[in-house]
Amino acid sequence: MRLVVTGPVSAGKSTFIRSVSEIEVVDTDRRATDEAMLLKHKTTVAFDFGRLQFSPNMALHLYGTPGQSRFDFMWDILIHQAHAYILLVAAHRPQEFRYARRILTFMRRRSQAPVLIGLTHTDQPDPWDAENILIALGYLTDQHPPVIAVNPTQPESVAQSVMALIQQYCESQASVTQPSMR
Amino acid sequence: MAITGHLIEFSLAEIFQFLEQGHKTGLLTVFEQPEPTTPKNQVHYIWFNQGRIVAAANRSDHHGLISIISHRGWLGDHAASRFAQQCGTKVPLGLYLKSQGILNAEQIKLLFYTQVMRRVCALFTLLDGWFHFDSKVILPMDEMTGLSAPATEVTLAGLRVLKDWSALESKLPDPLSTIVSVVEGKPHLHLNSTEWQIWEYTNGNETLLSIAKQLQKPIRQIQQIVFRLSVVGLIEDVPMVLSPVPDSTSKKAAAMGSDAIAPSSDNPIPPNAADNQASAPNQMSHSFLNNLMGFLKNKS
Repeated sequence: MRLVVTGPVSAGKSTFIRSVSEIEVVDTDRRATDEAMLLKHKTTVAFDFGRLQFSPNMALHLYGTPGQSRFDFMWDILIHQAHAYILLVAAHRPQEFRYARRILTFMRRRSQAPVLIGLTHTDQPDPWDAENILIALGYLTDQHPPVIAVNPTQPESVAQSVMALIQQYCESQASVTQPSMR
Repeated sequence: MAITGHLIEFSLAEIFQFLEQGHKTGLLTVFEQPEPTTPKNQVHYIWFNQGRIVAAANRSDHHGLISIISHRGWLGDHAASRFAQQCGTKVPLGLYLKSQGILNAEQIKLLFYTQVMRRVCALFTLLDGWFHFDSKVILPMDEMTGLSAPATEVTLAGLRVLKDWSALESKLPDPLSTIVSVVEGKPHLHLNSTEWQIWEYTNGNETLLSIAKQLQKPIRQIQQIVFRLSVVGLIEDVPMVLSPVPDSTSKKAAAMGSDAIAPSSDNPIPPNAADNQASAPNQMSHSFLNNLMGFLKNKS
């Protein structure tokens, strides 16, 4: 199963993946600054990868999108492979809401995978509340994805949000497979 | 909850978009300096009702509208103040004066233009500043004409005449991005001819650079127009993607096999990602999901 963790720079994507991954997270974003690596792996750099193997033949894979706009092309590659995705938004950085909205607009156009909004940094000074962040992200009615506060540095908090995301996935699958009542 | 911040981070255009889309009611205070210790004569007050701007002033004593009326010679200061007391807390002063036959509709429109449109549009020139929105404030009837304007309409007007874009430089869209419409049908706002020309490209197929070339306009101008159409809620800029939306029935997807074990940590490339021939992922089995949920429960 593949989950994508997306969001603006410093929303906590890499930390989120590190908190739940049982392998050393592959942080290809750093390698992207190396020109040789860019030439060799032009489309494979610039995302985080973590894995959670919970049985001998079952694993959850987590992909973190690059936050920098120069790697926007990776969004498309990753989202098409995703069963679900979580958008992390730092609640105390309204300057990033616009970029988060841009990510959402893009993802919704390219994928119907279920999404969860994860609010990070809610313990920082002057965080925006969920209701206002949803407005800033463009959700103007009651029809919006579930919102969860998550602390990417705490594995249990990350595990809870991953569970919520999987729950979203299950519900979306149920609605797809449910036969018509007519 | 009070909403505060710096204009350099969350621009006035973005604040207006948020307040309008959130149908917010309250008082937005804008300080010309980055800290709220700004001298009183550099503080601006903008009142919102359900996301629409209903009044604006550069003083907090609720005598802004009275002073404009008086300055225009339509009423003396004392008389205007007396009427302001009479209008009470339910009827805007402008409407009250109209009902009393003291001002006509055209005068009210002129008052609103002077008080709100001209004053608020000027605030878009601020390079930085500090803002604070308080939703608990009661709307001051003695500052209100009775007219109102959607916040984004004011934004559109303000950004059209903005000369110095340095404060918004970092917010301008990438020249290599494209634009998509986020409204159904045609825009509800009055667009000028260049804005309409750009609106025609909201199919996500052309980069801003390409649009600039086709319209024979400087890329900077295109970026600025895209930004303002974006903050008034008409379009969004998104990364340009060359590949079409993949066909979920692709044979390649069927050949992908189980998702249970995909890439190794040595090669963390999602299947099919390298050649960008992506397909909809396979559906996960109940046993997989149940096992995963059980595992995560133990971790949480």
